[in-house]
Amino acid sequence: MDVLENYKKAWDNQPEEVSKFSAIEIYKMAQSKSSSIVKWIFIIGILEFVVLNSLYFFIDMEEANKEYEKLGLENFIFYSQLAAYAILFCFLWMFYKNYKRISTIDSTRTLMKKIIKTRKTVRNYVLFNLGYLALVMIVVTIATINTSFDDLNGKQLLIITVSTLIATLLILGVLWLFYQLIYGILLKKLNRNYKELAKLDSFN
Amino acid sequence: MRKDLEAKFLSDFEQNQNIAHKICRIYTTNQSAHNDLFQEITIQLWKNYPKFRGDSKFSTWMYRVALNTAISLYRKSTRRVKTQDISDFAYKIKATDYDDTEEVQLKALYKAIHKLNDIDKALIFLYLEDKPYKEISETLGITSVNARVKMNRAKEKLKNILNP
Repeated sequence: MDVLENYKKAWDNQPEEVSKFSAIEIYKMAQSKSSSIVKWIFIIGILEFVVLNSLYFFIDMEEANKEYEKLGLENFIFYSQLAAYAILFCFLWMFYKNYKRISTIDSTRTLMKKIIKTRKTVRNYVLFNLGYLALVMIVVTIATINTSFDDLNGKQLLIITVSTLIATLLILGVLWLFYQLIYGILLKKLNRNYKELAKLDSFN
Repeated sequence: MRKDLEAKFLSDFEQNQNIAHKICRIYTTNQSAHNDLFQEITIQLWKNYPKFRGDSKFSTWMYRVALNTAISLYRKSTRRVKTQDISDFAYKIKATDYDDTEEVQLKALYKAIHKLNDIDKALIFLYLEDKPYKEISETLGITSVNARVKMNRAKEKLKNILNP
């Protein structure tokens, strides 16, 4: 007989839980707040949208706009921001839709897939934002160089280009690291389990 | 939720709560974590009960929601200090009216299951609960063939831990 059969017998004969909950206790528990990972993903996701978009409040937009005008970039900034907001709403809508579709009634695999997808929506939004930030920085640098091209010598030009490049990379790098950290902590277990389940498919 | 539905849920869950307790026992190793997970399972069951159509048994539906909660939704609280050792998991298993060897076996079994990964835990649990492969594959969202392959591997792992 299989070794496990013996243990299975012990399993079948195990006594019921001693400290069972009454219907009232269950009712109370059901009313309490969920602390599930999905809830955290939702809260952190919303926070990311809010934080990324509230950064603009800290920048003196009038001052910045004057600078843009000087560089002849006001149209670029205006239209690209318009597009960025449209894209923000697309992302928000997708995030909400994916979040709503998460259901514990699904199979384990589908559920995990949906959770990861919801999380990825926010990640893609952050990537989009970082990309946009990089684009603006590059465009501004090019415009700066263009407008004051005649006043600059080759050395100054090089310094501006290199320092802007380094600053851009540094900002993007720090944001990206920070992001990997939150994402990693939050989804470590889920990713591991998902891989474990998905691994099956590659065997058959 | 409607009042009559609430009452139906409470009575259904009260009767079947042992399933959730067993899942808590395999996925947690101390009493506070056990209660924490049990509470999350309760919240998820409650939230999804209006969508439960009754085309399957309440217990079948419960296995799925409870396992999903343990595997994918539950986050171990890091604030909590572990007060009980892992070997203490069987705190509630009493020796009275109960075969001694079976008690030892049961403790060894729980201890071994704790060493498995989350997915293998689910597979072994469903095996121990006599669930057919069809149900196992539907619960986990994998094909029956994969469920069999994976189950055999999980059983081998468990056997190796039990009898090294």
